This record gives sequence, C-alpha cells and structure tokens, in this order.
Amino acid sequence: MTKRLLGYAGLGIAAILIQKFLDNFASINQVSPQIVVLFVVYVALREGQLFGICNGFIAGFFHDLLVTHFLGLTSYIAVVASFVAGFFYKEGDVELAAKTFNFTWISAVSLFISELAALPVVASGELNYFYVFLKFTVGTTVYTSVFAMIIVFVNGRKSRYV
Amino acid sequence: MFKWISEFYRLAKNYIVFALLLSFSFFLISTNNNVQTRGLQTVGLLTTSYLEDAVRSVGDYFTLKSRNTELEQENAQLIDMMAKIRRALIENEQLRTMLKFRNETQAPLVPANVIGRSSEEGKCFVTFDVGENDNIRVGDPVVTGDGLVGTVIAVSRNFCLVRTLMDSDSRIAARLMNASADGIIVAGEVGQLTMKNVSRRYAVARGDIVETSSLSSIVPAGIIIGSVSSAFDEPGNIFKEIEVQPAVDFSSITAAFVMQYNRPSEASDLERKELKKAR
Repeated sequence: MTKRLLGYAGLGIAAILIQKFLDNFASINQVSPQIVVLFVVYVALREGQLFGICNGFIAGFFHDLLVTHFLGLTSYIAVVASFVAGFFYKEGDVELAAKTFNFTWISAVSLFISELAALPVVASGELNYFYVFLKFTVGTTVYTSVFAMIIVFVNGRKSRYV
Repeated sequence: MFKWISEFYRLAKNYIVFALLLSFSFFLISTNNNVQTRGLQTVGLLTTSYLEDAVRSVGDYFTLKSRNTELEQENAQLIDMMAKIRRALIENEQLRTMLKFRNETQAPLVPANVIGRSSEEGKCFVTFDVGENDNIRVGDPVVTGDGLVGTVIAVSRNFCLVRTLMDSDSRIAARLMNASADGIIVAGEVGQLTMKNVSRRYAVARGDIVETSSLSSIVPAGIIIGSVSSAFDEPGNIFKEIEVQPAVDFSSITAAFVMQYNRPSEASDLERKELKKAR
C-alpha cells in the first residue's frame, strides 16, 4: 500500500509539473488542459470514491498552492471530479475503467460536471455568463479530453467496448 | 445508538467526506484575501519561482540554438550599425569644421568628395569628384576645416588628382606663426612633415603653429599646416631640424574644398619681369 501511495504521490507531482508546463506553453486563450483533474479521475477509478475524493482535495490544494495561487478552486473542482468519477469505479474491473478509452469519456463527464459546479466561482463578476461557460466549462472539457485520449493512446491499451 | 451511527457512517462516509472537503474548499476560496491565507500563498509563490525556473531552464535548452543564431545575427547588425555611426560621427565632425572654414574664408570654395587614395613609394595622392566642369585648375590648393591637404596636379572633366603634403615631391612655403620664420614644408618621417630652411637663430617651441606663408605663389597665406612636434639644432647645420605634426589626417578625409585661388596678377608680372632682367 505504501508503495502504491508513493507511486500516486510521484504521479501527482508529475501531473502538477506537467500542468505548470502546459499552462505556460499549451494554453489557448487562457484555457489549458486539466492534467491534475485527469490524475484525480484516474486515481478515483482505480482506488474508489473515498480515496479519490481525499486524493482530489490534496492534489487540488497543492496545485492551487503552487500553480494558480488562488487557494481552494482546483481542490473544489478535483473533489467534485473525483466524486463523480467514483461512481464509475468497479472493484473487480479496475483496468477497464482506468486504462481504456472509457477513461476518456469518464474524465470528460467528471470534468464537465466539476467545471459546471465551479462556474459560479469562475464567472463571479463576469457579465457574460454564457461566454464563461463556453470558454471554461466546454473549452476546458474538450481540450482536456483530447489529452485524455492521447494518454490512452500512449498507454496502448484499447478498450474492447470502443 | 452507536451501532446506528456506525452503520450510517459506513453507508454515507463518501458523502460526508465529500461534503467536508467541499466545504473546506469553499472556505479556502472565501479566505483568499485573508492575511493568514496570503502567508500560505507566499510560500506557494516562492516554491513556484524555483519550479518555474526549472521549467524555464528546460524551455531555454530547446530554444538555445535558435536564440544563439538570432543573437549572432543581431550582434552582426549592431557591429555594422556601430561602424556606420562612427563613420557618420567622423564625417559630421569634418563637415562642421569645413562649414566653419567656409564661413571664414573669402576665396571661392568648391566642395569635393574623396573617391580614391593612393600612397606608395613616397607618392601620396587623393582623387576628388570635381574637375574642369567645376572650374578646377591645376595648382589649386585643397583644404579642409583642419588645414591644408595639398594642391591639384591633374584635372579631367569630372575628377582631379591632388598631391598631398605627405607626397615626397610636395614643396610648400610655410611660416612659423610665433617665430615669424619662413621655411619649406616637405614630407618627413611616417605621418610627419619636416620644415626646412629655418635658421637656427629663431626660437622654436613644441606646439608652435605652422601655416602657409605669404611667400607662396600656389596657396594663400594663413592656412594651417600643422604644429611643431619637435625642433632641435644639429651640430654643423645652420638650419633647424623641425618636425611638424600635420593638422589634417590624410588617411581619413572624406571631403574637402578646392580653393579657387588667384594670386594677384600684378605681383606675378612684376616678379616675372625682374627675373627676366636679372637673367
């Protein structure tokens, strides 16, 4: 278990570093792929809802602390995403959800719901609510899903359900 | 009761933890402007600065080659620009002194640009872009704002060849301003002129100005030639040895004036007549 925890910690640090790098170099009109959210969704699919929620909060908190400097927002999004992803957790078939193309749509649904939940915070002070929805909720979900697909491709494991 | 609570927790623990962490996240969002939270943000900011430095270093590594090429090109352009600016500054300085000279001189001056230079085996010529079409004649003196350059020795329609003072065949009557002594200026050691035929009885000091003499039939009097750099008496010689530092830098002039100087014809006629008589 300790080995697995250390593995997740390492993966989480890598996700935050990649997130920082992508924020600088792959951001399109302030929209960046949420690698940290992909990480917490992955953990929730492998370890279950409770573990995923706790991991989501910790990863989101460190992401906020080190990348956005606006404490609470990413932890909020990551907790919601982990919570949603936790419903797709299947104890007997972890590989199916976490390492196949199912991962792409599960992460897309989780991210969309979490971004939607965070919309009142993100759009506070904005006049055009719909624009913010399109830009940050839809935009981030689509952009992150592309990266989720790339991750699945790189893993080289295709789902028998696709 | 306890059993009921534990059963409730077992069933709803995910929701309870979710609600707790969500509330805590909300709490963090709402306290972003608090002093305590700012302290935490500062810690994060400091840590990120190290992180960013590392990320930037990785980015820098990939762009290093192209950046280096860009900087090399920029450097070459700047060197070229520096050379142009330096050239323009020198030219500007020369033109300023020439302008001042033109305002102070009575004789007609024709502005001319240097288009060629030749200096070998004691010969030192400069070619200018003015000629017969500009009323330039053989013998006309050529000057800059700093002093005398030489005299015209050949003219074509659009160009003229000038023998500078550094030429081994150049002979110009000169005068020491302070001592009121006349002599002849000829080319001396490298970069220097020599003033000959100045009697030892004159007191000559370093820095004394040498100008053209009124005895000259080629150039008008009072044009600066240079300044004395050394003067000494050689045993057994009735004349002084005088080295003169030329006022004009012959290697860097880019423009000059050709002076259309006419010596009073009456004086020339008189001289010619008396010489004939003497013969």
